[in-house]
Amino acid sequence: MLYLLLLLPLLPALHALREREAGRLASSTAAGALLSLGLALLVQNQAAGPLRLDGVGLFYLLLTDLLFALVALYARAYFQATKDREAWRFYAAGNLFLFAVHGAYLAHNLGLLWIFVEGSTLASALLVYHKGGTRALEATWKYLMLGSVGIALGLIGVILLYALLGGATLDWQEARVLVREANPTQLQLAFAFLLVGFGTKVGLFPLHAWLPDAHSEAPSPASALLSGTLLNVAFYALLRYVALLGSAGLFDFAAGLLQGFGLASLLAAGFFLFVQRDYKRLLAYSSMEHMGLAAYGLGLGVPWLAMLHTLFHSLAKTAAFLSAGNLLLAYQSKLIARVGAVQRVWPATAGLLLLSLLTLAGLPPFGLFYTEFQALFRSSPLSMGLYLLGLLGAFAGLLWPLSRMVFGEGDGMSFETSPRSRTLVVVPAVLVGLSLLLGLFPPVAVVERLAEVLAWKL
Amino acid sequence: MVGRKSLDALIRLYALQSMLLALLAFVLAEGEQHFVLAGMALLLLKGVLIPRYLFWLLERLGVSHEVESYLSIPLSLLLGGVLVGVGFRVGSAFVLEGARLPEAVPVALSLILLGMLSMVSRKKAVTQVLGFLALENGVFLLALAETHGLPLFIELGVALDAFAAVVLAGVLISRIRAIFDHIDTARMRDLKG
Repeated sequence: MLYLLLLLPLLPALHALREREAGRLASSTAAGALLSLGLALLVQNQAAGPLRLDGVGLFYLLLTDLLFALVALYARAYFQATKDREAWRFYAAGNLFLFAVHGAYLAHNLGLLWIFVEGSTLASALLVYHKGGTRALEATWKYLMLGSVGIALGLIGVILLYALLGGATLDWQEARVLVREANPTQLQLAFAFLLVGFGTKVGLFPLHAWLPDAHSEAPSPASALLSGTLLNVAFYALLRYVALLGSAGLFDFAAGLLQGFGLASLLAAGFFLFVQRDYKRLLAYSSMEHMGLAAYGLGLGVPWLAMLHTLFHSLAKTAAFLSAGNLLLAYQSKLIARVGAVQRVWPATAGLLLLSLLTLAGLPPFGLFYTEFQALFRSSPLSMGLYLLGLLGAFAGLLWPLSRMVFGEGDGMSFETSPRSRTLVVVPAVLVGLSLLLGLFPPVAVVERLAEVLAWKL
Repeated sequence: MVGRKSLDALIRLYALQSMLLALLAFVLAEGEQHFVLAGMALLLLKGVLIPRYLFWLLERLGVSHEVESYLSIPLSLLLGGVLVGVGFRVGSAFVLEGARLPEAVPVALSLILLGMLSMVSRKKAVTQVLGFLALENGVFLLALAETHGLPLFIELGVALDAFAAVVLAGVLISRIRAIFDHIDTARMRDLKG
């Protein structure tokens, strides 16, 4: 059954090779993703070969399948509006990507996890490239090169760890027992490589260089997938490795690094947000900010908090990128200056953009407010100051350009026509609604239970 | 690798390096079947298929086979030497207890660093791919040196990923050539900040 769940996304991928009509592809893709979602609920806690679906894997798998199904539906309307006759590329690459992500969450083996994470980099490079053009080509090249080097450093970490376990096993559960015998200094070395490797993919400062380019040059539905699902895959790997280090009694070492990288990403993102003139890059830097916050939360030793943060971030960021996609359709420009008066010309999109960005800025009553507050509450006094400074910077950097776009007039604004497909609004609305609901009733108990496998001591 | 001017020589060097690595894997296998299999897969993939693909790509694109670098040859040789020194200096810290081939660890580290140097110092997209491949070989050597080699299905999966990455890079290079009429990544700099 686990193998079925693993291979399920390949069916719509194969379908995309033969079928060119985007409507039918959207249906088969969404159906495939929803089917995997149901199947995942049925097979939790099962094991087969190197695969096992435990709580953390299930959490991220459900989130990914849900987002993927919604984005597939949105993409149908989006590509219709751009009159893109090659939308099948999106569905083919997207389903390959989903296959790699399924593999990563199902793999209960350090090596296999690495293989699927690298696979997700390759598949998502195809998503970024889509149809090409000079800028997309440059972004894809940068992404492929930086991503591959980063993940190769991660592989060094995997190899060192495997050697430290005596070459006996790559299974997570066995590793957590064996790791207690390992040499602590060398374990720290291995973890440094793993953090740099997977951290590159998470987009932690200063390893983030590929992120804003890839996210802004990809077609909007693909950007949504990159921010909402791809970053989580690498973060999930970090969650696992930090837990492993915890079992070896080295959590403090990992915590210092994670808090440092997390705060640095937060502060750097806050700075970059201020100098952006492109609203998709703005959202990309906001992803860097939130992954930094999640890393920080993990460094505080509260895995469920980090998981909850990535959940809220994924929902809100996907909604934000899809709303940004609507802006791109209507104004034909990614420049903030060329977008204005959205609330007058397309009120539904303006509302969704506003709500999703208020969520991302961490305002109550949305979920990110809850997790950010919880993290603040657990911080030490020194990092508390930096943390607040970063949050404040990101808050202003995000909301100031937004208010100009929604309420301002925009200089040289070039409004074309707003496409009137209802899906373009309904999908982000569902996401915003979900994010609001979960923010009002944060599912702490559920996530805590799912995160049990990550308990620092075993 | 860092001092060569001709791309053909670079690709041949890479093929040779991969074959030597495969040979090392055979020697260390001591007759154990799955290591022999991993070695064969490596030989076929990295020693034959990838170099052939790269030659075919250069042929098809009709770009000059000259390596262009940001650095002069003496400077790259000097930097290469420094990096090898660093590899050997810190190498001892990377030797784990029970390492199978401790002498190879500094070599592997140096190879990884040299691969990185070629990636950042070279202008042509193909040479960056070659740098990545050298780095990958360094990682493979590290795995051989530190452990008994990774399990077979992991080894094959890693190799498959590398192969897919090279093919994908090849497709991108063809597109770069078609759009820009060159494969010079130094001249792709639209995206900033």
